Amino acid sequence: MVAAGVRYLPRLVLAIFAGVLTAAAGSGCVVVRAHQRGHLAKRAMTEDRDTGEARFGGHERGSREGAEGGAGQPGGGCGCN
Amino acid sequence: MRLQLAVALALCAAAPARGDGTLAMRGVYYKERATRVMQPMLDAMFDAGVHGVATGHFLVDAITSASASSGAANAAPFTERRYEAGLGYSHELGLFTVGADAKYSTESDYTSRYAGARGQVELGQKNTVLGLGGGASLDTVSAAATQGPVQLTLRCDAMRPGASSCPLHVYAMYASASQIVSPNAVIGVSVDVSTLRGYQSNPYRQAIVGETLVAERHPTERTREAFAATARYYEVRTGTTLIGAYRYYRDSWEVHAHTPELRIVQEIGYDIEASLRYRYYTQDGAYFFRNRYPPDDPQMTQYVSDDVKLSSFTGHTVEAKVSVLGEAFGFGGRWAGARFESILEYVVQHNRFGNAVVAHVALTLPFNY
Repeated sequence: MVAAGVRYLPRLVLAIFAGVLTAAAGSGCVVVRAHQRGHLAKRAMTEDRDTGEARFGGHERGSREGAEGGAGQPGGGCGCN
Repeated sequence: MRLQLAVALALCAAAPARGDGTLAMRGVYYKERATRVMQPMLDAMFDAGVHGVATGHFLVDAITSASASSGAANAAPFTERRYEAGLGYSHELGLFTVGADAKYSTESDYTSRYAGARGQVELGQKNTVLGLGGGASLDTVSAAATQGPVQLTLRCDAMRPGASSCPLHVYAMYASASQIVSPNAVIGVSVDVSTLRGYQSNPYRQAIVGETLVAERHPTERTREAFAATARYYEVRTGTTLIGAYRYYRDSWEVHAHTPELRIVQEIGYDIEASLRYRYYTQDGAYFFRNRYPPDDPQMTQYVSDDVKLSSFTGHTVEAKVSVLGEAFGFGGRWAGARFESILEYVVQHNRFGNAVVAHVALTLPFNY
């Protein structure tokens, strides 16, 4: 079942990316001005995980799961036997 | 002299603060069937001049394991420590921000040196942020943590004789984009690509080939790709933030993984924030992974592995988190803005690792200077 999903998911992911990039390209139409961004400045709307929490989470998942990445920086260090 | 000291003290007291920063102290406890990890860490971030931000961290990983894959002999638990330190700097240049960071990690059987650079640009009145980054990690692997009487040698690749250590080089790049779509919604996407060259087996692990145990042999090249998308929405009436994320991963060892995740963050008054998170994880196994290998099939036994991370499995993670500002406890001054945080996470894994528990306690203290 996973294998079947894997076959068509890259196309779905690419479609999502294309949609988001289209939204980004069309940002000239929907501009949220600085004084309207009070809610966007909240911690949960920016990055609600501290550096240390995110770093430990990435390291811990890297030692338990075969998939790594998606967080923007490669490993460095093992501690994962 | 006393007058000079008094003047100096008065000047210091009267001088305006030049910058802000935070100091975060965190302790993490991780426990699964055969392994326990305790990790205290320190993270600092502070303004460096008008346009610069500097960061630094230091941590210790104390890993107690009875697993043979960590070097334990006869399932007798032993403790190994890993030390990691890192520095970073980012600088704002108008719409652009550029930065670099480096870190060093060492333990008895693994050393890693990482350096990277990144840049981002803000467009459309800062509604769109595009980022690009990359880095390289030069690692050295050995079997120095072996607890038994025999010191293992490593086969860095099929062409070389046994060695006491082997190199592993990792090169990575990522690109990201985030877009504000309304006054209370933002979306983001990212793509990570990395390539690994060098020794990627576990020196202590052995695979079952026929009726015998054979040292693990993994390919020495691997290319990994991860695509991730995130959406955040803030519901003004209830003070609730909904965060949805999805990641698709694939690599040249034919491991494919899907990771959807949902978080709900609830404000409770001004001082308290509570959140719940659910994460689902599923992956296919690597093309060469078998629980047991046939003895007389050279094609099948070119690579052999006993790595659970390369098998097919699923997992579920549930996490509860609470953050409280010092004000809620009646603290004043700089302690009013201090943030106390605790996290409890339970991981269900349908594989040999079994389930795991993770707990964090943290204190983030703002300061100015």
